[in-house]
Amino acid sequence: MTPAAGAAPSGGPAAARDRPPAPVAVRRRWTGSTIGLYAAIVAISAFLLFPVYVIFLMAFLPDNDTIYSPRPPLIPPTFTLSNLTQALTSANSPFLPSMYFSLEIAFLVGAIALLIGIPTAYGLSRLAPRLAYGLTTVMFIVNMLPSITIALPISVQFIKAGLYGSAISIALAQELLALPVTVFLLVGAFHALPPDLENQARVDGASRPQAIFGNLVPLIRPAIVASFLLAWMLSWDESTFALILSNPVHSPLAVEIFYSVTSRGNAVYAVAFSFIATVPVLILVVFLQRYLKGEDLAVGVRG
Amino acid sequence: MTAKLELFRVSKRFGDRLVADDVSLTVDAGEFFVILGPSGEGKSTLLRMVAGIETVDAGLIYVDGVDITNLPPNKRNVAMVFQNYALYPNMNVYQNIAFPLKMQYFPREEIEPKVHEVAQTLGITEILDRRVGQISGGQQQRVALARAIVRNPSLFLLDEPLSNLDARVRFSARAELKKLQRDLGQTFVFVTHDQKEAESLSDRTGVLHLGRFEQIGVFHDIYERPVSRWVGDFVGDYPMNYLPDASDGGEIGFRTEWVDVGAGPYSIVVEVAERQGELVSVLGRDPTGRRIFLTTLKQPAIGDTIRFDLRQKLRFGPDGARLDGAQLPSRPAPS
Ligand SMILES: Nc1ncnc2c1ncn2[C@@H]1O[C@H](COP(=O)(O)OP(=O)(O)O)[C@@H](O)[C@H]1O
Ligand SMILES: [Mg+2]
Repeated sequence: MTPAAGAAPSGGPAAARDRPPAPVAVRRRWTGSTIGLYAAIVAISAFLLFPVYVIFLMAFLPDNDTIYSPRPPLIPPTFTLSNLTQALTSANSPFLPSMYFSLEIAFLVGAIALLIGIPTAYGLSRLAPRLAYGLTTVMFIVNMLPSITIALPISVQFIKAGLYGSAISIALAQELLALPVTVFLLVGAFHALPPDLENQARVDGASRPQAIFGNLVPLIRPAIVASFLLAWMLSWDESTFALILSNPVHSPLAVEIFYSVTSRGNAVYAVAFSFIATVPVLILVVFLQRYLKGEDLAVGVRG
Repeated sequence: MTAKLELFRVSKRFGDRLVADDVSLTVDAGEFFVILGPSGEGKSTLLRMVAGIETVDAGLIYVDGVDITNLPPNKRNVAMVFQNYALYPNMNVYQNIAFPLKMQYFPREEIEPKVHEVAQTLGITEILDRRVGQISGGQQQRVALARAIVRNPSLFLLDEPLSNLDARVRFSARAELKKLQRDLGQTFVFVTHDQKEAESLSDRTGVLHLGRFEQIGVFHDIYERPVSRWVGDFVGDYPMNYLPDASDGGEIGFRTEWVDVGAGPYSIVVEVAERQGELVSVLGRDPTGRRIFLTTLKQPAIGDTIRFDLRQKLRFGPDGARLDGAQLPSRPAPS
């Protein structure tokens, strides 16, 4: 609530209706700095959203009005869904199979990130903090190198292993990027738990794996869901490993859209389909959102 | 099942700090043993080594004659109540209590009556379906106790379980804990820094200092005959009083209640006198300038001289160790 809104109804609802709000309060809302702030917000938002708007125009306007027009309009004169329906239904449209492929890879990346990340993070969280941070930083070194320099030698190995082009090979490569982030998030979450919770579980008869997965993991569920989402989305967007490690006739969606825009296929259909590509992300976020909340899990452990 | 606990020459080091220094101890089956000491003396560490949460650098730990020194905590059948109770926040009260039984793969139909039985014993039946965040500190303490009892362990370890409670709850919780231990007939090892708790709960008390038990015995005996100045000062509501001992360069130590005010070879000049209920607490200095704390019935004026005699006294050498154990009466004169 703004100060103006809080100050106005001092005389009750009836009195407030009779009298206009105090002029001082109104004037204070629109000082120069407030106007400047809103102007800046609008400007930055416009700057960030403009590319999205252009993509929106390309997707929902006839191509004559956009890529084949010398002066594409900023205000759309007409709308069409034909780009979208073509992208979805035309006989040899590559987009839907690519999207399934990308989904497969993204879920693999998310799952492997948790499978490896949870035990790794637990182990790190039980080390001396300085050592743990050192090791976590080392894991990020792979992220600091350009993906392309790592992707080439990896692809050679995958070709030798007969895995080239498979979902698992791309997922494993993308894991190089996802895993450090996952581990970083989960180490923090494990660290925040009181160590005596694990000790109590051990004394109460739990083996170490039982204590970790039965007692600790449920308590860091929000961090686990968040890191799964991050790993999943990182894979969904990732294109360097996806490009180099995939077979051109069966590529992940990001690569397929890239091909369609740059070389083969139809650029407008690709742009239209990129709106479809946001749907799985939205569904996932909406579905997992309630698990991102911590509830009152931290209560009950004092000291 | 109730068991005897034995520590043989147990040592533990954190960095260059020796937390347990060659500790040996025997706690008898069914005994309520209190480990007493100021904070930071290694009381919790000792308990955690028995529970298996902390490793032992040297020495052996036996429960009922079985060497458990290198067993993981889940193989020791030792129950522990942590200082902050460590209730599982993602489980309700019932699930918390049932957890140790679930870990032993008891079938559900056996778990339920057991949980209800201990809940009945501890008076927490009404809160069984509450979340642990919704119950009071006193209730949390009972839930932690219930979770320890339900599995029928051979040994109970309790790390300052009363220190998180409000003063009012603490008093009744203390009495209930003592009754519980009597009824169960189980071995309890209880850690505290509060000598009142040691006094009211323990069959025997061990006073921990610098990684060793400086004195082990019945609390009353420790109070009356501390082996050192340090123990004498730590045990008791007030530090002991000391006067120089002309005969040998040592010191005479005495407790306030061993003083007969009125006449005698000793005297102090009153500096502070404060009525507290029936008695007046008097702080004064003896002729050599030492601070002495007494209680009197009548209010003295500041600057008055009070003469007194000692019914009972202890003699300490220059190193702080007691010299004259044999001369002491075994019971104090009624005061
Ligand atoms: N895991 C640990 N690592 C290093 N030092 C520790 C550790 N646990 C306890 N200590 C130190 O050992 C000493 C004894 O601790 P503790 O057993 O908790 O004492 P108490 O329970 O008597 O207060 C303290 O100085 C404490 O800082
Ligand atoms: Mg402690």
